[in-house]
Amino acid sequence: MKTVKIARAHALAGVASMLLGSVAWPTDALSQNNSTARATNADASSNAATANVTAGQQSFGNNFGRSPSRGGGTDPGVRGGAPGAGGPLQGLSDAELQYFNAAKDVFQEVDAVPDGLGPRFNLDSCAGCHSQPAIGGSSPAKNPQVAVATAAGAKNALPSFITANGPIREARFVRNPNGSADGSVHALFVITGRSDAAGCNIQQPDFAAQLARNNVVFRIPTPTFGLGLVENVPDSALQSSLAANAHQKRALGISGHFNINGNDATIARFGWKAQNKSLLLFSGEAYNVEMGVTNDMFPNEREGDPNCQFNATPESVTPLQPENTGSPAANYQNDIELFSAFMRLTAPPTPATSSTAPVAQTTGASSLATAATAGTPSQTTGSTSSSSTASTLMGSATADASGVMTTDAGSPTAQSSTTSTATITRGSQVFTNIGCQACHTKSFTTAKSQTTGQSNVTIQPYSDFAVHDMGNGLADGVTQGGANGNEFRTAPLWGVGQRVFFLHDGRTKDLNVAIQQHASPGSEANAVVSNYNMLSRDDQQSLLNFLRSL
Amino acid sequence: MYLGMACLAAISAASVGAILSSRNGGVTRLANPQDVHVADSVFVSDYFGFAYRVPDGWSQGLPGPEPSQSGYYVLGTWVPTRDFTGTILVVAQDIFFTPDTSDGVKNVVNRFRQVMSSVDGMTIDREPEPVKVGAYPGYRIDFSGVGLFRSMLAIEIRCHIVTFNLTSRDPELLASLARSLDDLASFENKAGPVPECLKDYVSENVLHRIEPDGVAARTASIPVRVIVATNGSVKHVHVIRASAAQRRDIEEAVRQWRFKPHLKQGRPAEVETGVIFGRGAASM
Repeated sequence: MKTVKIARAHALAGVASMLLGSVAWPTDALSQNNSTARATNADASSNAATANVTAGQQSFGNNFGRSPSRGGGTDPGVRGGAPGAGGPLQGLSDAELQYFNAAKDVFQEVDAVPDGLGPRFNLDSCAGCHSQPAIGGSSPAKNPQVAVATAAGAKNALPSFITANGPIREARFVRNPNGSADGSVHALFVITGRSDAAGCNIQQPDFAAQLARNNVVFRIPTPTFGLGLVENVPDSALQSSLAANAHQKRALGISGHFNINGNDATIARFGWKAQNKSLLLFSGEAYNVEMGVTNDMFPNEREGDPNCQFNATPESVTPLQPENTGSPAANYQNDIELFSAFMRLTAPPTPATSSTAPVAQTTGASSLATAATAGTPSQTTGSTSSSSTASTLMGSATADASGVMTTDAGSPTAQSSTTSTATITRGSQVFTNIGCQACHTKSFTTAKSQTTGQSNVTIQPYSDFAVHDMGNGLADGVTQGGANGNEFRTAPLWGVGQRVFFLHDGRTKDLNVAIQQHASPGSEANAVVSNYNMLSRDDQQSLLNFLRSL
Repeated sequence: MYLGMACLAAISAASVGAILSSRNGGVTRLANPQDVHVADSVFVSDYFGFAYRVPDGWSQGLPGPEPSQSGYYVLGTWVPTRDFTGTILVVAQDIFFTPDTSDGVKNVVNRFRQVMSSVDGMTIDREPEPVKVGAYPGYRIDFSGVGLFRSMLAIEIRCHIVTFNLTSRDPELLASLARSLDDLASFENKAGPVPECLKDYVSENVLHRIEPDGVAARTASIPVRVIVATNGSVKHVHVIRASAAQRRDIEEAVRQWRFKPHLKQGRPAEVETGVIFGRGAASM
């Protein structure tokens, strides 16, 4: 685009959409990863059909195919109170802080067509997609795609899978009309009809027809908090971690491998399938694929209709004249560099303290403090189990900053910090014992960093950043680099307490459902989900409370 | 309840024989590690040559993933038909492709013990000790935490560590599941003697080698098992995990390899070995 400054204003918003990003394009366009499509990829149509289910519609029960004999815990719901994320890393220098703030501004900009939006797009800003619980996060509870569909006079119809209270989604087609593999993003909206796009008359894809063919799969935005630290974890640390608990994994049916970048043979770690090697690549791809803004990394328009080309390309480039930002460094940076900078300098999510963690509780949970302290199971007696069954769960509860929970009925129930601490401590123990941590690896230490104060920092992302076969129930049939249609990167769990939607396609808001959806034919998580389903009700609840504390 | 029964006698020779190999277009296809089946409640591994009578009231659970880049297999899972009180998980790890499994089942179980004992709240209920798992010598360890009681019984067959992983909320049920493995039966390979299992045989004994096309050099590990015939030709190629195209290219190339014939006690003998294409040994 010619007006770089305007474009920048809108580019920030586009960064949000990069969380969505995890397209097949990086693989093809940059030869980032050689395709190693696995012979065992699930049938595309069944994958697509599976991905089309919404919360809990498809369940393979628990472990190894049998319905759980106990019902499972109750998700306490999205943790309330102040967002534990979205700010800068601690210890940044003044210059770095200025750079972060300028980058964050750009991340929030909203693009119009003169800025590079379209011709096809999923949203018009980065922060629009990445906003829960703060700028840089994941899909908010209210979907901004509904409003953007008709913004500025556009006449886009909402696909059936986009709803006001549903997750922000991008759509991919599993196969081309001739039956060959597709896997790329097909943007939801077009600029046709917009006041700033006169003469453009392209149409939206026929999503209804594609849905009828079971050919559509979805992804939601991934959170960007703390990703600079993730980027700086050495490959050797990831490899050592994967090997270190290999014996435990083998006893649980788990294997896993990394998605190796085809260019430099290092570990790619961003995106739902770990298909993106770097934050810069992540930014560039999302800017073009999610917002339609061509840039230094992805310089060509995806839509070829000349009547819809309004700008010189790439639309976002490095400015040759300094721009007036609060950061001298940012004045000469292009948009995707600034998007990357925002993600690189954003602090990881902060876990709840005992006073702010929401917990749901069974009537038998009073024993939790003792059990956690003693390190003994809290459920080993039948009486505990029966009391759990009869318990009143404070389900769908939310907590404010003071830790006061509000139940479905709306009556606040104060949770003592002792109980909260006990159940979260116990939940952490359960998490480790049943094998969740075999893949959701708790901590890593960063390498020496260019960023002030970020060398040798221990982080707790709760991910091994490897890809694992998640079975037919979650498979999307899309191969990206070394990740096949059944495989997904272990989703980092930091910040999960304040997330609204779960799993790659946002099919559920319920953590318990998300856990159950890890089990299906072919999944590496089947044994761990079995273990979860054999737990006492109290321990299941503690696990959910622990997760919502992250 | 005591689930163990003398299943060896119950496993008919007919049912075992049928699984050793199958005919495909007139060519006998040798079994691979993932080739398992259940017949009359007996779980049979054609490749490993064992049979296990599944406890009464138990049925197959969800299948596991495809073999991994390190030659790891989920062979089978079982769960109670009624109340969900326990699980049986049988897995195998090829020791050719993982450095931490190549020094014997005892060391593997000891390392497992080390890992599990470091888990917060986990108790080692039975230290690793040698046991007989049916006809096979092996090692057993018991451990528990958060109300789940678990046993792992590990044996080594054909250069694989095969483990039976038992889990239950009920210690008595766990004990009975472990006893059910007393009747793990072995049977002879009708396709002939089991090849001698030799690691790194390729590098030292290959006489003629053609590299396959289309194998990504650095992005993935592609483990391959090879059975070398007594005359040095390649009798069987098992590409454990690869894309269809890679599988085809590797099979075509490796079938043309030629080896120095192997002698065992002065007599020609078949050899089973492994080779990795692509990135090299996987981390896991």
